[in-house]
Amino acid sequence: MNNRFPTLLGLLVLPLALFSSCKKDSDTLDSTGSVNFTVRNVAGAQDLALNTTAATTAAGEKFTVSTFEYYLSNIKFTKADGTTYAAPDTYFLVNQEKPASLSFTVPGVPAGDYTGVSFLVGVDAQKTGLTDPVTFTGDLNQANNMYWTWNSGHIFLKLEGTITSTTPSKPLTCHIGGYTDPNNAIVTAAPAFNGAKLTVQAGHTPQLALKADVTKVFDGPNPVALSTFTGAHMPSAQSVQLARNYAAGMFSVEKITTE
Amino acid sequence: MAARRRTWWVGQRISWLLLATLGIAGSAAVAHLRRPAAALAVPANFPALVYEVAKNQPNEATFELGRQLFYDPRLSSDGTISCGSCHQQSRAFTDGQALALGVAGRRSARNTPALQNLGWHRSFMADGGVRGLELQALAPLTSPQEMNEPLADALAKLNADPEYRRRFAAIYGPGKIDTPQFLKALAQFTSALISADSRYDKYVRHEPGGTLTAPEQRGLALFQQKCSGCHATDLFTDESFRNNGLDRTFPVDSGRAHISQLPADAGRFRVPSLRNVARTAPYMHDGRFATLPEVLAHYAHGVRPSRTLDPLLRQPDGRLGLPMSAQEQQALLAFLNTLTDNSLLTNPRFAPPSVAARHQPTLAGVGR
Ligand code: HEC
Ligand code: HEC
Repeated sequence: MNNRFPTLLGLLVLPLALFSSCKKDSDTLDSTGSVNFTVRNVAGAQDLALNTTAATTAAGEKFTVSTFEYYLSNIKFTKADGTTYAAPDTYFLVNQEKPASLSFTVPGVPAGDYTGVSFLVGVDAQKTGLTDPVTFTGDLNQANNMYWTWNSGHIFLKLEGTITSTTPSKPLTCHIGGYTDPNNAIVTAAPAFNGAKLTVQAGHTPQLALKADVTKVFDGPNPVALSTFTGAHMPSAQSVQLARNYAAGMFSVEKITTE
Repeated sequence: MAARRRTWWVGQRISWLLLATLGIAGSAAVAHLRRPAAALAVPANFPALVYEVAKNQPNEATFELGRQLFYDPRLSSDGTISCGSCHQQSRAFTDGQALALGVAGRRSARNTPALQNLGWHRSFMADGGVRGLELQALAPLTSPQEMNEPLADALAKLNADPEYRRRFAAIYGPGKIDTPQFLKALAQFTSALISADSRYDKYVRHEPGGTLTAPEQRGLALFQQKCSGCHATDLFTDESFRNNGLDRTFPVDSGRAHISQLPADAGRFRVPSLRNVARTAPYMHDGRFATLPEVLAHYAHGVRPSRTLDPLLRQPDGRLGLPMSAQEQQALLAFLNTLTDNSLLTNPRFAPPSVAARHQPTLAGVGR
């Protein structure tokens, strides 16, 4: 997922940039840069450690997490004047079990100061609805086990673990997906920059550090009581509720670093 | 009739032309492998093909690789079940079980359907949940009740096998065997399973051997009158989802509603083809009927009412089902038997590859 190309490009255009620093960024060569995303999965105030961390919902119910995976896709950057740049073909699978997946780079972002970012938590309907397997490469490959084989389409978010606040404790399974009405679970998250700026320029790779709070799957506009929760395994009204929860509150921007 | 023959011929010419063009475009190194399998030519009495052949050009080497995969039990978690365990050629690729039998004696929730003319399907499975032929293989492969093998593990097994690596590389070039190559190779085999040469087909195409007896012809007329509203065209299905009155409620299997989540779809299942139907017992999505006479008795006087029962099974006088006398059922039965197609059931191309076949001349040339 790490894209070395922009770094090389940066090295190449650096001399150019030095000589033409007084010009506007109209030069096509040095007019784009990369943005590196990092994701830190947490449970409230604690870092999320699989099978260990006791996550607590707003209602005080507790669960542990054995699997936490989700797609971030269709990444879009917004400038102060409201103009946007939609990065093409951006599909990233974040998997708490795979540290390398907690960081990814979006290349080719036009230089400029951005004041916001948004992305789908999931995969757009057009993409996931395709049937030719050659279209699912890299993170979208069905071998990643984030795909419903009996109801063609990607699983957007997978949260598995154990609900520990019930006696006895019980398994927790949330497989959220579905891309057609009435159970379309494709949601957009737009964590606020809170006045910060993301400055993209050639030869630099600013970092956007995101935090994702797993408890927000259950807390949000549609609070879910774990004591009575029976899981989500298919496109359903319940899945849409959970998706609206994590769209609303799971992601926040921790830090923006422009090297 | 003459017009029909011409369409058939033109259709063949077009497919061959297309194949030839793509063959030339293909890499020269593997050009000798790109011999068309000629399996996807559209029979004259069939509607247009749905499957996008251009995205998976038939060629002999890939077809043979697909056949090898189809019959390889190593693809299951415990090495006991292949696609061919449930999809047996002599039964039109069904298994004779009410509910399919997978690894460790586990039972699927549904009856194994025939595999034939899959290139004409708009969706797969009794509920239409699977949207493409390539994608379809993922379901039995990964289902705990069937082959119970995560895709990544299946790919790892293939990549660990020098023979598979060699065969995949000869077709797709060097590199790891990945999802697309695996699924496309399998689909070359499954899409080639075409049934279009039953006695009935020869009858409608006026070909030699195409004679129907008087009772069979009566059965055909009855079929057109009572059954073809759903079992339509010479594929014997309109590919729609319908409730044919098996139950009043659907607590175990809601069919199409399982996918659509719409109450209006409860109890609707994909209308299956009736080709080779004499060989595909037991019948319906859950294999509840052991014989064809039981199926006919169901339509004649066993149809149960429900909100989603298909209107074609409600008579103007309020009676349910398709009233039929015993003689009419006999005639229908005679007709259904004319749909048996030995070109599918006994064609050695579709049988498990023998050891000898694995060392066919097509593959001998691969190393060059
Ligand atoms: C354990 C038995 C079993 C095995 C093994 C199995 N299948 Fe199937 N197959 C079924 C059943 C049962 C269905 C119908 C499922 C449904 O409708 O939900 C089916 C459906 C299909 C269909 C769709 C047919 C249609 O008309 O919609 C295809 C194609 C197919 N299988 C191909 C394969 C391939 C390829 C493999 C090997 C990778 C395979 N099957 C392995 C039992 C099996
Ligand atoms: C209203 C639509 C409709 C009509 C009319 C209809 N069928 Fe069906 N038929 C279906 C559907 C839907 C199924 C599949 C049900 C299931 O899988 O549970 C089916 C299944 C069957 C099967 C079982 C096939 C298999 O492989 O399991 C047979 C045989 C059959 N029909 C024969 C007939 C005959 C003969 C007639 C006319 C007397 C007829 N059908 C009329 C909709 C219809």
